Amino acid sequence: MNNYLEVKNLSKSFDNFRLHDISFTLPKGYIMGLIGPNGSGKTTTIKLILNMLKRTEGEVKILGLDNIADEQAAKKSLGVVFDSNYFSDDWKVSQVEKSVSVFYENWNTQRFSELLDKFHISPAKKVKELSKGMQMKLMIACAFSYDAKLLILDEPTSGLDPVSRDELLHILSEYIEDGEHSVLFSTHITGDLERAADYITYISYGELFFSGGKDEFVDSFRIVKGGREELSDDLGKKAFGIRDFATGFEALIKTEDIKLFAHLNVEPATIDDIVVFTSKRGEQYE
Amino acid sequence: MSNILKSVKLDFSLVRPYVKTICFTMVLPAVFAAINRSLLTGISFAMCFIAMTSGYTFSITEKNDMERLYSILPVRKSELVVGRYAFSIIMGLLALIFSLITHPVILSSLGETVSTFDIACAAAVGIFLFALYTVFQLPGYYKFGSIKGRVFMYIPVAGFLATLFLITKIPADNSGWLITVLSSPVLVLLAAVLVVIMYVISILVSVKIVQGKEL
Amino acid sequence: MKLIISNISGIPIYEQIKQQVKSAIMSGELHADETLPSLRTLAKDLKISVLTVTRAYTELEEEGFVKNIQGRGCFVLSRGSELLKEQLVCKIENSLSEAINAARVAELSGEELHRLLDILMEEKTDE
Repeated sequence: MNNYLEVKNLSKSFDNFRLHDISFTLPKGYIMGLIGPNGSGKTTTIKLILNMLKRTEGEVKILGLDNIADEQAAKKSLGVVFDSNYFSDDWKVSQVEKSVSVFYENWNTQRFSELLDKFHISPAKKVKELSKGMQMKLMIACAFSYDAKLLILDEPTSGLDPVSRDELLHILSEYIEDGEHSVLFSTHITGDLERAADYITYISYGELFFSGGKDEFVDSFRIVKGGREELSDDLGKKAFGIRDFATGFEALIKTEDIKLFAHLNVEPATIDDIVVFTSKRGEQYE
Repeated sequence: MSNILKSVKLDFSLVRPYVKTICFTMVLPAVFAAINRSLLTGISFAMCFIAMTSGYTFSITEKNDMERLYSILPVRKSELVVGRYAFSIIMGLLALIFSLITHPVILSSLGETVSTFDIACAAAVGIFLFALYTVFQLPGYYKFGSIKGRVFMYIPVAGFLATLFLITKIPADNSGWLITVLSSPVLVLLAAVLVVIMYVISILVSVKIVQGKEL
Repeated sequence: MKLIISNISGIPIYEQIKQQVKSAIMSGELHADETLPSLRTLAKDLKISVLTVTRAYTELEEEGFVKNIQGRGCFVLSRGSELLKEQLVCKIENSLSEAINAARVAELSGEELHRLLDILMEEKTDE
């Protein structure tokens, strides 16, 4: 099995929000970033994958297993990290292991204690005494101790300092190094993904905007800059959002349209640029 | 180890930090039994108290948002629910056994005579009351959560007051009705069947609630 | 072998890897039959995407500098440095022809052109 996560035509309707027709595939051995502004549907997508929400339509396969019909089997090889910890505050780290390990036949106690050492987490500490970064690492240590093949992280970096964020990225690159593990990582701090992610799935207003290779994603857009008088109607039509100000403008365009605007200052776009400009688009026409 | 047992174990580790509090609440009924010079009221009180603690697991999971942990563990929701019922029953039984040992000892030391039949009667009444409280409490907690559903914590109190009222209304020498009920094997059996049926229905309702929930 | 990735150069990361591998081959730092660092380890160490390194290695293979053997790694080919030299010579020829053409337009003599080249080379060595 080469795809660790397959999401097909996933949809979910709420009273005031709709996630519509989301499809993407994460092959084994890679990191995928799930991006989009707050409220775009990232967490809904993850909750649907975990069957915490009931989908209206679509299909999800985790390691080739249906996420509802084979839920238990799929979850044996699935690790999840949420933005805050899901253990009892009053548990000591050693109690976390005792409580959770029974659920996994392949739990490796030695590996757990090695990971605690590596992450500098004392087994005698209570969960509530750990920093946010430590709590995140504790969740990861648990997932690694039963050798989860797929790790899903929902906004793990929000509220983390730069040091912890860097550590997380390092942990994740080590995790996929052997080519046998994959990561789905949702975040609105796209800087985290700029280098380490292999694939990007970008959800905007509940709809899939892009899913594919990160380099391809970033390469397919350019930022053009110029003076206000250079802001033509043609550019207005081609651009994904324009920011104009007293002394000039910036706009996001498709790389394929670059010939049309060769006279302007053209720069590579960052993931952030793409998200910011494409999200503004909707507002512009309101 | 079956998934249900694992779930029971998880519940035990949830309330572990509160074990002292729970043990302490078992002292009061003993005092109450001593003051009232009645095993039956002592046991009723003990079962009321232990039933009141059945919300602990719910409030701890709610406080820590542990539904998220439950939703990633490789167990069925129904197994978690059955585990929680089993955990509650085990707690109830432990409280009952503790009280059935300590209360008679205290009462005898105060000069009261406590026969084996009295203990058996108290055990049967205790089990029945505990079941009666929890079969309503647990689905209530599942449905409303421990904060919004805290009114369910007081079911045992209402039940206890009602029991107390019934016992005091009937003069001691006239409490023969209870003895009649309890000495009839058919009626005891009927009560046992009733308890089982109540639990089955309650579990089914709870499972339905949990499966229908979106997080 | 030294590999340094710059985030501000504006050159795509895969291109930076390619260039540095090529110059290592050219300088003799990487010999024929030597292996490039493991793809996934390099990605981890440089904190970059596996796919980015894959692209760099694949393009190096397509251009004939290395050979990827499944499960064993990426080997430097013996004709890698020759190939590079050929490519560079070709590039020099092109640039020089361009210079000659420009010199003709500017009506510069061959001598003057030679002198210009000497001056430029001297300046480069000074740097």
